[in-house]
Amino acid sequence: MNCEVCQLKELEVEHFEIREVLRCILHTIIFHRALGLVRPKDIDLELFDITYVQCGDAELEKKIDDKIDQFIERVEKHPNKKNQICLSFYEVKNKQATWFTNKVERLYWEQWYINLNLVQHPKTHFGKSHHSKVVVDPGDSVSEERNARRAALESSLLEVLFQIIKFVNEKKEHVPPIPNLEGVSFPYEITISSSSDSAFGMDMFKRMLQTGHPSMLS
Amino acid sequence: MILRENTMASHHGNTSSEPAKNEQIITEFFAKSLHIILESRCPYVSSRNYSGEQGLSSPSSSSSSSASVRPRDKWFNLALKDCPAALENIDFWRQSNLEPMVVDVVFVQRSSNWDPLNSSPKRGLIRNLSLKEKYSWSSDHDDFGNETKAEKIIERWVLQYESRKNPNAAASVSVGKRSICTSSHTLYKRSILLLRSLYVTVRLLPAYKLFRDLISSAQIRTYNLGHRVSSFVEPFTHKEEAEMQHFVFAPVDTSCGRLCLSVLYRSSVSDISSEPSTPMTPQFIPDYVGSPLADPLKRFPSGPLPQGSPSSSPFGRRHSWSYDLYRASPPSGIPSPSPTHSDSHASFAKPRSHRLPPTSLPPQIIMKNAGYDEFLPSPNFSPSPSPSPPTYAPNSNISKVLLRTESAPVSIPATKFSGIPLLFNNQMLPPSPPLRPTKSNVAKAEGRPNLFPTNSTADKLLLFGKDEAVKLSGLKISSNSSPQKSFSRSSSRLSFQDDYDDSVFSGPFVVDDDDVTDPGSRPGSFDQPGHPCGPNEPPGDFSVRRSQDAAVGALVRMLKKAAPLQQDLGNSTSLKTCSLDPNQNMGQQGTQPSASVASSGLVSPKTTADALEELRGYRVMKNLLLKQGGKSPTKPS
Repeated sequence: MNCEVCQLKELEVEHFEIREVLRCILHTIIFHRALGLVRPKDIDLELFDITYVQCGDAELEKKIDDKIDQFIERVEKHPNKKNQICLSFYEVKNKQATWFTNKVERLYWEQWYINLNLVQHPKTHFGKSHHSKVVVDPGDSVSEERNARRAALESSLLEVLFQIIKFVNEKKEHVPPIPNLEGVSFPYEITISSSSDSAFGMDMFKRMLQTGHPSMLS
Repeated sequence: MILRENTMASHHGNTSSEPAKNEQIITEFFAKSLHIILESRCPYVSSRNYSGEQGLSSPSSSSSSSASVRPRDKWFNLALKDCPAALENIDFWRQSNLEPMVVDVVFVQRSSNWDPLNSSPKRGLIRNLSLKEKYSWSSDHDDFGNETKAEKIIERWVLQYESRKNPNAAASVSVGKRSICTSSHTLYKRSILLLRSLYVTVRLLPAYKLFRDLISSAQIRTYNLGHRVSSFVEPFTHKEEAEMQHFVFAPVDTSCGRLCLSVLYRSSVSDISSEPSTPMTPQFIPDYVGSPLADPLKRFPSGPLPQGSPSSSPFGRRHSWSYDLYRASPPSGIPSPSPTHSDSHASFAKPRSHRLPPTSLPPQIIMKNAGYDEFLPSPNFSPSPSPSPPTYAPNSNISKVLLRTESAPVSIPATKFSGIPLLFNNQMLPPSPPLRPTKSNVAKAEGRPNLFPTNSTADKLLLFGKDEAVKLSGLKISSNSSPQKSFSRSSSRLSFQDDYDDSVFSGPFVVDDDDVTDPGSRPGSFDQPGHPCGPNEPPGDFSVRRSQDAAVGALVRMLKKAAPLQQDLGNSTSLKTCSLDPNQNMGQQGTQPSASVASSGLVSPKTTADALEELRGYRVMKNLLLKQGGKSPTKPS
């Protein structure tokens, strides 16, 4: 089974925007992969004038939020500019039992890479303006800058959402048959990585060993 | 349901024919698509308004389908809230045998001046262009006769099934039996995917923001969204098309055709929606106008004119209009005394004369002023420090008075000195033929711009609301007795306009007084060199009109003020100026709904500028009165 990969456009986000942006993107993707019966829930972003859709599945929401918490925590510990979140969908196949393992094999059929470029919030700006005597002007310019940046991020986010929609529309062949009605969504996992993280390689390696990362194993 | 189960379970061959299943899937796909689109475009129902359970379980919402709610939700594994509009339309469409479905989402813009006459909030709210008005917001609100709205198609969804010429040859045969089986399954799965995309997309397009604002706020927007569902495309012009963007969903292939879904949408919708919203209900308008706009004004009465205007404090609370009332009342009383037409000329001519500085005013005027002065000091107005209670009381008195007096003609002199100024006014009112609403409206409308200078109190009121035709019309209705008269009046106003620029208010006020004091002298005044306009028109008409107008104006104001206190909603009914007698008003309400609406409109639109103007006029008037009052104690009788 081939694994389709979608690299989403990189977004420049500030720390406080991470949660909303990730929620929005992750839920939108999963909504397209939750082919069981769903009762969609509209969510208005607070930071942006965008409405996205959740599946209305509490468990799923929690899982996503947990992952996002994890991500934020990680970002705080290891501030890296480039971060990547990977949402993978897979099918589960029971490997034939071997002597040593009764392993469950995951067959990945789709991966979404969310690319975040963390930018330093204007805290530094504030610090500077604080020291300089001229307080007013810098402040204004900073806020203007922020607004402009916010608007830019909003439109970029919108772009990403449409990217998702287009991808879903164009690539349908690889989507496995709809699973039993038990789960709302296809099985999925969310993984986190940061490009400049020194531990990144090791991390990935471990994960690959654990999960049989498809892209590497193919 | 069964079919769906089959399609879902159809991995292993099942007996039902593939084409039949496919066709059903396609049909349901159309229905679902329409549902998704309208659910987020048609303000009547939205997922945002209801929790999921409510939407799903509400039996009343869909008459025909209450039992089938669940099955419908199961289709494509997408549970949607009920959307009557969608159900209705899809029923229509089902009869059309897989014809294309074109869903236009229409932006309906109310006229920029929110016009109470033409669009009661409810009326304007929804114009559901789809067949079923009954499903639009509330059935009783439909008034589709309004032409004030501008419509614009902001989205066009096109959903069609393109079947191959000979499906069997092309698809089935080549694919083979087994794949046919999967095809219905695959079709179903892909349909689900497409519908998921549609669901998300619908919420990302600009029009959704309009919808969201419509349903999320307690305020009435100046626009609404409607929709049209049809099976043919009414082509856009090139220009229109240029303004729209196209998003095409990847078609879903079936064994014998494909499902195509695309949308043309306007990306600039946000511009349209940025317009200010209007307050929710008409009832609020009077208060709204009074409070926010008039707030600054409220102080004025007490501040600048503390001595001169006794009434200010009680009425001040309400809003600037209170001033008008005060002002208006004296004139109204005056003109009425003699219905005779002869007076009219005089009154007419006077306005011009009034323009002159107070000192130059004719003796008659002075006399009136004296009377007026008395009026001002009257205990009722001056004493009450607390705003709200006093206002109410005077009003009630007035109404009573009106009732009593109505039949009996009032003599001017007597009225002057009655202890209660309001009474005075009231007495005046009865004589004038109260209501001849209809014809005058038109005429007045014509003359409206000119109204400013005119004598009638109603006109004064109108002045403030100049910009808004609606208000004016409402007043007009009440005031004018005969069409002819109204006409003439308007013309006269035109002529006077130039004269009255700044001293507008004083003019009308004075005139009225004159009428009261010197009925006999007026004819003479008409003759005065100053009158340009008077000669053309029959003398009688003017006087009558004026008196009526004045009386009406006074009544209107009083009623207006009274209304909020008495009636929770600030009903326009109270405002109806048409009838001098409150009782009459009541009776008329039923008959003349439009009039009432119009009158309500009067209240709302005032601007601060208007209020200031009013204030200024009032001051001028006050000064005149004071001066004249000192001079002319003798004249009154």
